[in-house]
Amino acid sequence: MAGKRKLIIQSVIGCGLVMLAAFIMGGVLAYLEVKGQDVTSSAGALWAVGGFAAVTMLISLWVGFKWMSSIDEAAQEAHKWAWYWGGSGGMAVGGVLVIMASLPQAAAIHIPAWYSERSDPAAYAATGAFAMLTLMLIGYGVAWAWWWLGRR
Amino acid sequence: MNNRLKVLRAERDWSQAHLATELGVSRQTVNALETGRYDPSLPLAFKIARLFQMPIESIFSDEE
Repeated sequence: MAGKRKLIIQSVIGCGLVMLAAFIMGGVLAYLEVKGQDVTSSAGALWAVGGFAAVTMLISLWVGFKWMSSIDEAAQEAHKWAWYWGGSGGMAVGGVLVIMASLPQAAAIHIPAWYSERSDPAAYAATGAFAMLTLMLIGYGVAWAWWWLGRR
Repeated sequence: MNNRLKVLRAERDWSQAHLATELGVSRQTVNALETGRYDPSLPLAFKIARLFQMPIESIFSDEE
């Protein structure tokens, strides 16, 4: 229990540090933009943000590994069950949308740009990936709650 | 799978929280075990058997 408490505190501190780093990075990019540098079309800025995102994801995976190691076997089973069934269920819902989007009729559907008024292929690819991830996480949350409610 | 965990715990006047601490699991897990809605892994089953100083088969049974 003490190990889990320590991990929660470390995770909160880690999230705070990542948010602070993102804030500083955003500030630096905004400063460079104000100073006249074209940050939004700079390949360097793209790779810098990509590198930051990769480090953030690696840290997230490490926290996930430590978290899974700190919980007991029933809690682990709940997460595995939820990831398989909830994630698969969410993916199945997303799969319907993917199939529908592949039809020629879908070309006429106007999908609103979800950030910075962008409607380019990369923005829509990110929208699709984000939507699929959201559906999978919703399914994961529902399945996780279902697993524990069935074992109260 | 059926088990006698709840009876064995009651005989020792232990709370679920106490048993959870002894086994190194959460109270929710102990509850799930006692209600027979979660079957423990072999390592946890052996741990339970050692704690109660009984053979596994006298705690767990696969009879309906």
